[in-house]
Amino acid sequence: MKRLLGVLVILVLGISLVGMIGLAEGKVAVVLDVGGRGDLSFNDMGFKGTDQAARDFGYEMVEIQCATAADYLPNLRNVARTGEFDLIICVGFLLGDALGTAAEEFPEQKFAIIDVGWITGPNIMNIVYRENEASALVGALGALAAAEYGYDYVGVVLGIEIPVLYHFEAGYRFGIDWGIKKYTEVKGTTPDVGLLYTYTGTFSDITLGKAASEAMLAQGAVAIYNVAGPLGIGDLEAVTEFHDNAGTTFGPPYFFGVDANQDWMGNGLHALASGMKRVDTGCYNAVKAVAEGTFTAGVTSLGLAEGGVGISKMRDLIEFVDFGIGAGAITLLDVPSIVYNWVRNRLTVPGWIWDAVDELEAGILDGSIVVPTADTGNEMAAVRAEYTLGAP
Amino acid sequence: MSSEVTKSSSRLWRATGRTLTGLNPALESVLAGVVGLLAGALLMWIWGYDPWKAYMAMFRGAYGDSYGLASSAARGAPLILTALTFSICVRAGMFNIGAEGQLYMGAIAAVTIGYFTLPSGLHITAGIIFAMIAGAVWSLVPAILKLTRGVHEVISTIMFNWIARFLAFYMVAFILVDPMRGEKTISIPMNARFPILVRGTDLSYSLFAAVLFAIVIYFILWHTTMGYEVRASGFNPKAARYGGIKSKRTMLTSFILGGLAAGLAGATVVMGNPPTYAVISGLPQLMNVGFDGMAVAMVGRNHPIGIIIAALFFGGLTAGGRVMQFYGSNPVPLEMVRIVMGAIVLAMSIPELFRIFPAIKKQGTELFSLLRRLTSRVSHKEGSA
Repeated sequence: MKRLLGVLVILVLGISLVGMIGLAEGKVAVVLDVGGRGDLSFNDMGFKGTDQAARDFGYEMVEIQCATAADYLPNLRNVARTGEFDLIICVGFLLGDALGTAAEEFPEQKFAIIDVGWITGPNIMNIVYRENEASALVGALGALAAAEYGYDYVGVVLGIEIPVLYHFEAGYRFGIDWGIKKYTEVKGTTPDVGLLYTYTGTFSDITLGKAASEAMLAQGAVAIYNVAGPLGIGDLEAVTEFHDNAGTTFGPPYFFGVDANQDWMGNGLHALASGMKRVDTGCYNAVKAVAEGTFTAGVTSLGLAEGGVGISKMRDLIEFVDFGIGAGAITLLDVPSIVYNWVRNRLTVPGWIWDAVDELEAGILDGSIVVPTADTGNEMAAVRAEYTLGAP
Repeated sequence: MSSEVTKSSSRLWRATGRTLTGLNPALESVLAGVVGLLAGALLMWIWGYDPWKAYMAMFRGAYGDSYGLASSAARGAPLILTALTFSICVRAGMFNIGAEGQLYMGAIAAVTIGYFTLPSGLHITAGIIFAMIAGAVWSLVPAILKLTRGVHEVISTIMFNWIARFLAFYMVAFILVDPMRGEKTISIPMNARFPILVRGTDLSYSLFAAVLFAIVIYFILWHTTMGYEVRASGFNPKAARYGGIKSKRTMLTSFILGGLAAGLAGATVVMGNPPTYAVISGLPQLMNVGFDGMAVAMVGRNHPIGIIIAALFFGGLTAGGRVMQFYGSNPVPLEMVRIVMGAIVLAMSIPELFRIFPAIKKQGTELFSLLRRLTSRVSHKEGSA
């Protein structure tokens, strides 16, 4: 019996030793906030990008989730303390404070953080996005569709009032304004299109997203833009129910996705486009920079030009259908109907509108059009004052 | 036939209960702990993780060095207090599920000290007092409802948890919000935070506040007349009343003591936990601290000293569970870690659940008959209408 136990202990030790040798190439950690996996959006994208990069550059990836906010700092310290990790990626601004503390305590450890530009350090790579650029494209599409179909409003349901969401709102406002001007230029009449927007104060309560969307649809919104991660599920539900009640299966009103390409959600019936924010690209680039020895501290801003943000296209749909299958939300059998529904829905918007959106995209890319943004409440107030969009 | 089956099964039930409750409490807890660990190991083994390595990582992370010990104690401190809330009321024969809501109120009240300045010591004291008062006030309403209208405390405290939750949401989003960062309240000023006890960890002097409070509760319950009355009414309410103990007063006392403890727990979380020192929108650092306290109370046998030990064990599970996520080449994902923790905690609370089973049964019957009365009244009304 004792001998058996001895053999067992040796075996276990041997296995763990082999395990240790296997780790020699290096490790990266991805730390998620309490939102955790399964949002089909922000957090899953962070995981996806890091996982891909770890595979491409031969790292072992470790995923660390936090059960409560009290775990943020201990988790970062635990990982940094081991000294085994080449890079720790923090996905989301909620981890900002913890990162600031941990990065000071472990100056040799390299960190990267998504969406936080205000906490910097010699060992921190800050990855921020110009969400305003993608949102401008979505806003222009919404405004043109509203004008085309005679709707009074375009809508947006946002989460908590934080700087990142101000980027979205500012861009959306600019895009709507641009779309109205474009319509006037093409058709010769100025359409009466306004903006409906709500900050729900949550990134988790899906019912609030649904309630806000229902109110907007009742007032005549042509589309609901989801800018609150999982709340999009509720927004899309509201749009779907609106169609069911009206007896229509596609066409306006539409749903606009966010962060990931969410066009495939709801069987592709009502999601016209998504304002993508490629969290995966940011994470991928951070790991790549470490692998190639080009890691630089400081703020890296990713916009349309860097492929960090964008409006969803056909190729993105295919990529993210895979993402949805990977998450277990859909199966391979759903793909043909999703693609069919999506194409049919897209065709309800005339080609010249799509061309106009492309024109805006080209303008932003070559720098001839600059999309405004906002980081503080005051800056946001200034943007709201400039683009009132129907509000008194 | 079926009555025979139920009879024999109830006999088996009683026999198991007797065996379990007949053991030495310490031995019982250790035995239950071993069963829990084995159950957790089995679960991990079934899903293809190496239980031995995972547990090694967990114990190293929880108690392996001063860093681990400090992390465990830091997580345990608020749990000591929320566990006390539950156990004081159990000692008085009631089930106070309201620690969670009282904790939120305590945390919210503690944040308000960010609006004024005081000398350091006074400022911390002010935060503690604010939080404790808020917790006590929040527990007072269910207590008064019970005393005057006979509202069952299980129902009212659960409801009050929800009210507290949404009230806290509102306060965070609109009243106490940090003007520069909308996702959190203003932060507790530097000089009003519990100083960090072990550098580079979460452990602050709030641990002393929690332990001190537990000792005070121990002293009150076992060495004062008031405590004697509380325990006597819990042990046998009729005999206590016959002996001249005012049951209403003991109920009120135990609710208030519980509220003070939960409020203080809220203060230890916001004033003692780096790095944010504020309540974050959605309350992610407060969520479940009150409910976890109930499990801690069970494991700690509803005794203040047992609770201190159980809270350190619980904190160790959390701190060690974090390490299980990235240790070795086949780490255990958080979801699995939490399942294993659940198995351990469940196993460890079984002995105490058996002990207070008669009380639970009584509460259950009361609730059931209450619900039946309500539904019959509703159906009666419908019938007449």
